[in-house]
Parts: sequence; C-alpha cells; structure tokens
Amino acid sequence: MRALGARGHIADLWETARGLAGPFTKASSESRRGTVVLSVVEVEQDRGTELSSDSEIAPVRVAPSRRMYWLPGATLIIGLVITAVLVVLTHSVYVHNERRLLRLRLRDAASVITAIVPGIQTPLASAAELADATGGDVAKFRRFITPYATGKTKQFASVSLWRISSTQAVRVSTAGLTPELTPAQALPFLTAAVHSPSLSVMGLLSDPSPRLGYAFGTPGGAGPYVAYGESVLAPRRHSPVQRDSAFAGLNFGLYLGTTQNQRDLLAASAPLPLRGPKAVLSVPFGDSAITMAMTAQGSLSGTLPQELPWIIALAGALLSLAAAGLVLRLTQRQMYAERLAVDLEISATANRQLYAEQRSIAQTLQHALLPESLPEVPGIEADARYHAGERSVDIGGDWYDVISLSHGRLLVVVGDVSGRGLKAGTTMAALRYAIHAYAAQDDPPETILHKLSGMISVVHQGQLATVLCARIDVEQHEVCVTSAGHLPPLLIAAGEARFVDSPVGLPIGVEAGATYGSTIVKVPPRATLLGFTDGLVERRGENLDIGLERLRAAAVADVSPLAQMLDNLVQQLSDEHDQDDIAIVGMRWTS
Amino acid sequence: MDELEAEEQAEPTLSVEVSIQDEATVFVRLAGELDMSNTEELEAQVAHALESSPQRIVVEAQGLEFADSSAIALWVRWAALVDHMELRNPSPLIRRVLTAMGLDATLELSP
Repeated sequence: MRALGARGHIADLWETARGLAGPFTKASSESRRGTVVLSVVEVEQDRGTELSSDSEIAPVRVAPSRRMYWLPGATLIIGLVITAVLVVLTHSVYVHNERRLLRLRLRDAASVITAIVPGIQTPLASAAELADATGGDVAKFRRFITPYATGKTKQFASVSLWRISSTQAVRVSTAGLTPELTPAQALPFLTAAVHSPSLSVMGLLSDPSPRLGYAFGTPGGAGPYVAYGESVLAPRRHSPVQRDSAFAGLNFGLYLGTTQNQRDLLAASAPLPLRGPKAVLSVPFGDSAITMAMTAQGSLSGTLPQELPWIIALAGALLSLAAAGLVLRLTQRQMYAERLAVDLEISATANRQLYAEQRSIAQTLQHALLPESLPEVPGIEADARYHAGERSVDIGGDWYDVISLSHGRLLVVVGDVSGRGLKAGTTMAALRYAIHAYAAQDDPPETILHKLSGMISVVHQGQLATVLCARIDVEQHEVCVTSAGHLPPLLIAAGEARFVDSPVGLPIGVEAGATYGSTIVKVPPRATLLGFTDGLVERRGENLDIGLERLRAAAVADVSPLAQMLDNLVQQLSDEHDQDDIAIVGMRWTS
Repeated sequence: MDELEAEEQAEPTLSVEVSIQDEATVFVRLAGELDMSNTEELEAQVAHALESSPQRIVVEAQGLEFADSSAIALWVRWAALVDHMELRNPSPLIRRVLTAMGLDATLELSP
C-alpha cells in the first residue's frame, strides 16, 4: 500500500507524459508537440533493443543442435549395439547347432562305414576256411568266390587265393581282375593277415588305378591259405555324393588310417582341403582305421536359422533408425515446447513490467493532478491521502482539495468523476481548477456547485461527478456542507462520530443549472472532519450503510494524530480486491 | 501474469435483454454485475433501440447485483435522452447508492 501526502511536481508530470506517450501515440500524436513525439520514438527504440536483447539471452537458442542430436544419436548407437549383440548370439547359436548336427551326421556316416566291414570279411573268411578244408581246391574256391567278384553285387574287383610259406606267397587262383598287389608287398601283408584275427586292410593308392586290398587268413592248416580281395577306388578319388545316401548334403574326405594324410585319401566328394567348419572322426576298419573329415554343403538346420542373424541385423538397424528418428522428433517437440515456455515467460515478464510501469505512471500522473500542498491556517490542521486501487493501472477520477478563502476560511473539496483513465483524470482536473476559480470569487459552496453543474454533461461526455464542498470557518467552529450526489462528511468529536446530514443535490453533469442547498453545523472543539470518496466505504455486494458504519467505528476508535489516523483508515478500510481509488481529506481543529 | 489472470477471473457476468414493448418504450432487462468493464457493451447493445427516439426507457434491474458509477452515469444519460427513465426493482444496495447520489428522482426508482 502506498499512501502519499499532498505533493506533486511539474517534473513528475513531465516524466509521466514521457512515459505515457508510447501508449497514447495512436490517439493523440498529431496534437502533440514535436518534442514529445521525439521522446516517443526514443521510448519505442528503447523497447525494441530491450526485446532483442531478451531474445538473445534465452539460453536454449544458443546450443540447440547439440542437444537435439545427442539423444537420438545415443538411441541409434544403443539400438545398433543391441542388434549387434543379438546378431552375434544368434550366429553363435547357429554355428553351435550346425556343429552338433554335423557331428551327428558324421556318426551316422561312420556307422555306415563300420557296417561295411562284415560284408567284406565274411566272404573272404569263408573262402579261406574253404581252402583250408579242401586243401587248396581251386575249383571249389572259384565256384564259391566268383559271384562276389563278377556277379551282380560285385563286391570285389578281384579276389585271389594265396598260399603262404615262410619265404613266399603264391597266388593259387584268381577271380576277376589281376590283383595290383605286388609280390614284394604280398608276403609281409598276407603273412600278417594269417595271424590277425580281424580283416587286414591295405591301401594300394598309387594311380592310375588305386585300389583297397583286404585279406583274411586262417592260421594253421595245410597252407596256410589267405583270401585276398581288392576293390577299385574312384578315379582321382572323386566320389560324388548320392542324394539319398548317408552323406547327402555333406562334403567329406575318407582317409585310410587315423590321420588326414593326402597319401591315404580313399575318396573325397569335393576338392580338398574341405572348406568351412569340419568334423573329424576315426572309426576302426578291419585292423586299420578310416578317418572321416566332413563339412556341410549348406545349412544343416535349414535356411531360416542360417539367415536369422542377417534378418535380425537388418530389422535391428531399421528399428534403431526408426527409434532414433522418433526420439529426434520428440526431442524437437520438447525443445519447441521449452522454447515456447521461455518465450511465454519472457512476454509474461514484459507484461508484468508494463503493468507495473503503467501503474506507476498512472500514480505519478494522479499525484501531479492533486494539490502540491495544503494551505496552513492557524487553528486547524489539514491532511489528505490518495490511495490508488490495488489493481488499477489507470488514473482515477477521485480528488481532494483544500482552498484558502477570505476571512481565514477554508473550502474543503472531495470529488469523484465516474469512470477511469485519462478522460476521468482530465475531467477531474478541469473541475478542480474550476472550483478554485469560483472559490476565488468568494462564491458560497452551493453557488460553486450550481456554476459547476453545467461544466460537464453526462449526455455528451458520458461522465458525471459527485462533489462535496465544505466551507470551514475555523474561528467560528462552523462548517457549511453542500453535496452534489456525494457521500456526507464524517464529524468526529469527543469520542463520538456522525455523518453530517445535508441535502444531496444532483451529481455534476446530470443537469446544467442544478441548484443545491447547504447545511451549517457547529463543530465542537478539537473535532475532526473527514471528507472521502466511495472507495473508502463501498464494497461489491455490500450495502453502503455497512461500509459507512465501518468507517464511523474505525474513526471513533482512532485517537492518533491526524496524519496517522488517515494512514490507519486507508489501511484498514481499503479493499485489496477492489480497483477503486480512495481520496480522503481530514481537517482537525486544534482547539 | 497473476494480476492478469485474476482480472480475467473477476470479469463480471452480465446478461442483457433489450425489447421494444410498444413504439414508445424500450425495455431493458439486466442481470449480473454492471461496471466499467461492460457498461460500454451495454450502451452499444441498447443504442440501436434508442435510434427510434422512444419516450420511455424501462430498466428492469431485479437480477442486477452490482452497478458502479459508470453504470449509473449511463442510466443518467439515458434519462437525459427520454422523457421517462424508470429503474424498476433495483436491489437495496443499488437503491442506497442512488439515494446517496441524489438520483432517485432522475431515475424514477420503482417501486
């Protein structure tokens, strides 16, 4: 709350005019003098630079791009990393699965190889037994063995019967092709076969006609005799895989012995060395062994598991990009919203400043229109307050005045022009100075108001004014009260207070030439007379009498010095929610 | 900002019905609150009806809870434009203010 005493300066008024010039240029710039128009330009330029500096200090506008791309970038990287991890996991599962399947297929294939042995061993063993039993009967041997060497099944390319002595191995009979076994190879190999309980196997792997030799002999007997068979290996050991065989879908290399030695290669389905993940297994084959190396031609577990890592990679990359895009969009929106909030805050701050500025301008102008000082007259103390409504940003139409008259008398005036703003303010000033002029002519209050009644017209200006004129005769302790629609003054004396009952005439502006009556009251010693405007007592939704009584009670209870009393009353009675101004003037007899 | 919002919330509501009862009488029914923020609007709404130079304006103020000095000034202005300006059923609050201003005769308060 700000209650100011009676003061006002031309400097204040000039400052106010400068400040007001901005808002008023539209309405009245043409009629203004050049200097004022110049200061308008200044003001506007000032505002312009202020605004642009405001927008520069907004922090989000400086580094938006880094913030805008940081989060989407992180999203993209995280998405890609997750994708990569998934791809690696899927791929390793796939590889592991492929290996497991390859080992299973290898074991299947191995069992096929193992199953061949009895089919080879049985005819050779039988032939050897037969030779033993018949003493090397060639005819019987041939009759027995020929189907194996030449028949439909044609298990061997060549089968021969050998008699072994300690020094030589003699081929007794042959069915099918001539054996590739050289005499030098024959003796040690076949001698060993006699003593071996299982099928003896030998690789004759030199080109051009590589063969595999098998021998089975019976120890003891007349010979001893050894049945020896040979099977032909594929030319260049290339053996394409049959579609429905145990090797379907696989590439393999078969080696005689337990190593993958190129020399010992029996057959291969593809050029060696085999490419890709390889499984290796050695299985017993007669008295030797066969080593199998195996790779898969394609995916053993199917196309989907094989392609899955790539599908995941592609889908993951796309999803990451989409997520990054979405985050980018959200970030942009969020930043836009933040920027908007900052802008709103800036303009709200500007609004608050403008509001405070305008309010301060209005108050300055208001005080400039009120008396600079009140006259000092012996025997009476005069003071006044003007309180701008808490929410008002315009000039109000309230005023007060204390004018010295002849014979040591005073004219106390309180008035209120309807409405607010510059129009109300100028009307108020006009009425105030008119009263000064009429008072100077020594007119009584009722004449002053009568002359004033035609100064404004509610029909033409849309305004009316209530005015209270109280002529005080200090020495005689008398007050002559006249009212143009104004609230009556309050007279406080000796712990009592009452409103001065006087006839109420029409407000100024209703009717030109209106007449007014007056009431003269005697004033007790040390009495206080309060003139005030309706802002002090009126509240929305409350009967005026309640407000008047509130003032009366407060005034009676207050025994402080006049200045303090006016402050107290304004503070206690002003309504913080109302925008109505309050003018109050107090006169206190000192005796 | 706060002040502006508060001002918006405090914006008084006013309902106005203007009718021309017979050729000589304009009837204005007011309800709500009438103050500086909406008197100009009310004036504009009634101005059209006043173009036909009626002899009488009747303001039915039964539902009117508040009227400030701007509103009173408008009524006085209407009173100056016609032979009879009648303010019917003003609330005790409004009636008290009008009496304090010495306007009961000008505005022909009734009943």
